[in-house]
Amino acid sequence: MLQIESLKVFHGLIEAVHGIDIKISKGQCVCLLGPNGAGKTSTLSSITGTARATGSVRLDGNDIMALSIEERCKRGIAISPEGRRIFSNLSIQDNMIMGGAIRRDKTRLAQEIEEWISHFPVLGERRNQPAGTLSGGEQQMLAIVRALLSKPRILLLDEPSLGLAPQITARVFEIIRDLKKQEMTILLVEQNVAAAMEVSDYVYVLNNGAISSHGDVGKFGDGSDLMDELMGVHR
Amino acid sequence: MDYVIQQVLNALSFGAEYALIALGLAIVFSIMGLVNFAHGEVIAFGGYSMIVVATLLTGNPWVLMIMVLAACVLIATVLERVAFRTVRGADLTTGLLTAFGVSIILQNLFLLLGSPRPMAATQFIFLDKTLTIGAIRVSSLQIYETVATVVAIIILLTFLRRTTLGIAMRAAALDFEMVRLCGIRANRVIAGAFAMSGLLAGLACIFIMARRGSVSPHMGFDPVLTAFVACVIGGFGSLPGAVLGGFLLGICEVAVQVLLPQSYGGLAQAVVFALVALILIWRPDGILSPAQEKGDKI
Amino acid sequence: MTLRLNINQRKGLVGSTLLSLLILAIVGAYYLWGESYQARILYATFVNLLVVVGLQVFMGNAKITSFSHSAFMGIAAYVAAICVTPAAMKAISLPDAPWGLNAFELSPLVSVLLALSITGILGLLTGLFMARLTGVGVTIVSIAILVIVHSIFLHRTDIFKGNQAFFGIPKIFDLPHITILAIAAIFIARLFRESAFGLQLRACADDEIGARAMGVDVYRTRLIAWVIGTLFFATAGIAYAFFLGTISARPFYFNFVFLTVAMLILGGLRSVSGAVIGTLLITIGLEVVRWLETGPDLGIIKMPQMLGLSGLLLGVVIVAVMTFLPNGIMGNREIEEIFKKDPG
Ligand SMILES: Nc1ncnc2c1ncn2[C@@H]1O[C@H](COP(=O)(O)OP(=O)(O)O)[C@@H](O)[C@H]1O
Ligand SMILES: [Mg+2]
Repeated sequence: MLQIESLKVFHGLIEAVHGIDIKISKGQCVCLLGPNGAGKTSTLSSITGTARATGSVRLDGNDIMALSIEERCKRGIAISPEGRRIFSNLSIQDNMIMGGAIRRDKTRLAQEIEEWISHFPVLGERRNQPAGTLSGGEQQMLAIVRALLSKPRILLLDEPSLGLAPQITARVFEIIRDLKKQEMTILLVEQNVAAAMEVSDYVYVLNNGAISSHGDVGKFGDGSDLMDELMGVHR
Repeated sequence: MDYVIQQVLNALSFGAEYALIALGLAIVFSIMGLVNFAHGEVIAFGGYSMIVVATLLTGNPWVLMIMVLAACVLIATVLERVAFRTVRGADLTTGLLTAFGVSIILQNLFLLLGSPRPMAATQFIFLDKTLTIGAIRVSSLQIYETVATVVAIIILLTFLRRTTLGIAMRAAALDFEMVRLCGIRANRVIAGAFAMSGLLAGLACIFIMARRGSVSPHMGFDPVLTAFVACVIGGFGSLPGAVLGGFLLGICEVAVQVLLPQSYGGLAQAVVFALVALILIWRPDGILSPAQEKGDKI
Repeated sequence: MTLRLNINQRKGLVGSTLLSLLILAIVGAYYLWGESYQARILYATFVNLLVVVGLQVFMGNAKITSFSHSAFMGIAAYVAAICVTPAAMKAISLPDAPWGLNAFELSPLVSVLLALSITGILGLLTGLFMARLTGVGVTIVSIAILVIVHSIFLHRTDIFKGNQAFFGIPKIFDLPHITILAIAAIFIARLFRESAFGLQLRACADDEIGARAMGVDVYRTRLIAWVIGTLFFATAGIAYAFFLGTISARPFYFNFVFLTVAMLILGGLRSVSGAVIGTLLITIGLEVVRWLETGPDLGIIKMPQMLGLSGLLLGVVIVAVMTFLPNGIMGNREIEEIFKKDPG
């Protein structure tokens, strides 16, 4: 479904990612692990079009590298970005409307918004309040819902559990598991190795802008070696 | 009593004009960080197109009003396309200087193609009559101006709250890239903002023309300078702030005229600007905006 | 600044000398071949040069746009003019002046010193606030200063005559004086740019938080640059009044601000050479356009009179530079580095 080949990502003159290959098939949940500064966010940015990149990113065989950010979203790429970036000055409802801005079927969209609200009652109780008043976990839910409301073909999640309390993190992963059941294609960036591996089918490990290892989750066992690698522990 | 009501109306109508223009500045600034000093020339362009239409087509004031609004929207969007699109994302100073450059170009075009002297265009001055309500005599123009401004602001707010484009514009003021990530075209949002600022400029133009009855190349510069101050007072980029700042300035200007002896009338502008300098030194981000920390957003 | 020059300052001396030779060559050409009306143009050019180089000191190094220079120039021009004009003359030109302003006269030297100190003190007072504000804040407050000072010029017609001419100022300066001043300005601005202060300012402009972390006192360096800039504008104002013989409030407002800012950004505000080159280029361009504006007879075709052409050109230059050449012609380079690639 999504094929990335010899991708290099740049921030100004700095090359943050040095030519990586990633493949995601339909309905798969692929996990991108790596320490801080490895280039995970940069990789996602090159898929959404917000960072300058070379190489090829293909969605269903079509190269999308030349497309604008907006056009990529219309082709079915949605992201819950690092730091969530909800529109804190907008109401919760308006944040959801932004998520579904590209939708034509506005009545269906309105229904879906209601469905999500019944799913997360907190969002409903305060739907007309500024989204900035939500807690971190609630903002993360909102960011994911916002991304889903565009009816994406592939969902990018950038560290959805960052800075959340353990129960809330569990809740976030529960959502991801639900999405997987509905055959959503997901590229998940995480530092919470154990939880990420539990929901993923395939794992890429990114280090200093290059893939250091990849394979089916089974290959990495319980992930403790991975954890050590990411934490910089050498044995 | 008469005097008090007249002064209150004075303050309201001055304030309404500043608020209209300030809103136009604030909408564009909030979305693309551009202080559009060419906004005054958008107003002047409205005035000149009024003369052109009146000589070539019709002197019907209602048609002319629509033409003025259309002309202002048109020129505002054209300016965005030819001049400001290239400096999108550049730093504030680059945008500011570009806007000043555009302003100078337009002023001199008016001078070259029109005339350095004011040109008469009196089709709107019928709006300005003296009304006698009971024992009170007031200017009808001031009432129209205040009412029209309030209506325009309500319509604008409804647009910003109820339509997808309006919501996107508010969102873009916070995080433009995220709006694009939601699939909304950046060009549409920015063109929308310019069109809206043009519409507000057109409205201001109608009232300015009704009061002056003539156009001149520099007619927009001073009002925009004052509206800019209104934006600064209200916190730049904040739309309610722009409205509040506009009305505050109107009140302030009338107060200066009422309180200072006649001979100091020329210093009204100086007083207003001194106020701004003090406000900025006291609160660099304006009255309404919360104190912000320096540094990157998370 | 210590008397011992650092290596960059020594390079600066070379660059300043080159620029001075350029100035001298122009003046020499005038004395050899020029016509007498061109002395006025040349004089005005060098007054502009003083202002633009002065702008470079604060705007260029700190990378903060400020628009108040016309105001400081005007203040100095008026102070110097009021001091130096003979009392008998002032009885005619300023008949209603308060506080005995029209009843005294000072020597040119004392007038100059007084004008410089008054403007300098105002520069210091405004600078105390300016140095604390961030980028746009400075721009806005500088606009406020410009408008306030202009309103006062217009309002106190008994002292400043408003838009009418304040006449009878003795002609004290001529082309040689302004040439020396222009050359001195180039040296001072360049030495400042390469001094520790200049370096710190430029470091702050690129990365304020980083520079602060390195222990740079941003506030103090900005204040120093602001006051030095003000003194440049004051000198320009005095030179203006001492040559023309009459002054009015009109030239000390937005038009002149835009003219000088356009000169600075065309040349490139990061370097003194850019300031000088921008000034010369725009002056030459405007002279050509002004000539076209009057509707000259080109032999074959008679051009129509076109008021506003020079203003149009100025606007186009500003927009074009901002769009295509945001760093100006020189970018970060000085004249002695002209064959080097711009480091960006
Ligand atoms: N906007 C930026 N400008 C400059 N460098 C950046 C920018 N964003 C990221 N980088 C650099 O790129 C590298 C990868 O960053 P990032 O993709 O954010 O890593 P991760 O998401 O894995 O923590 C880091 O070295 C970081 O410093
Ligand atoms: Mg990251």
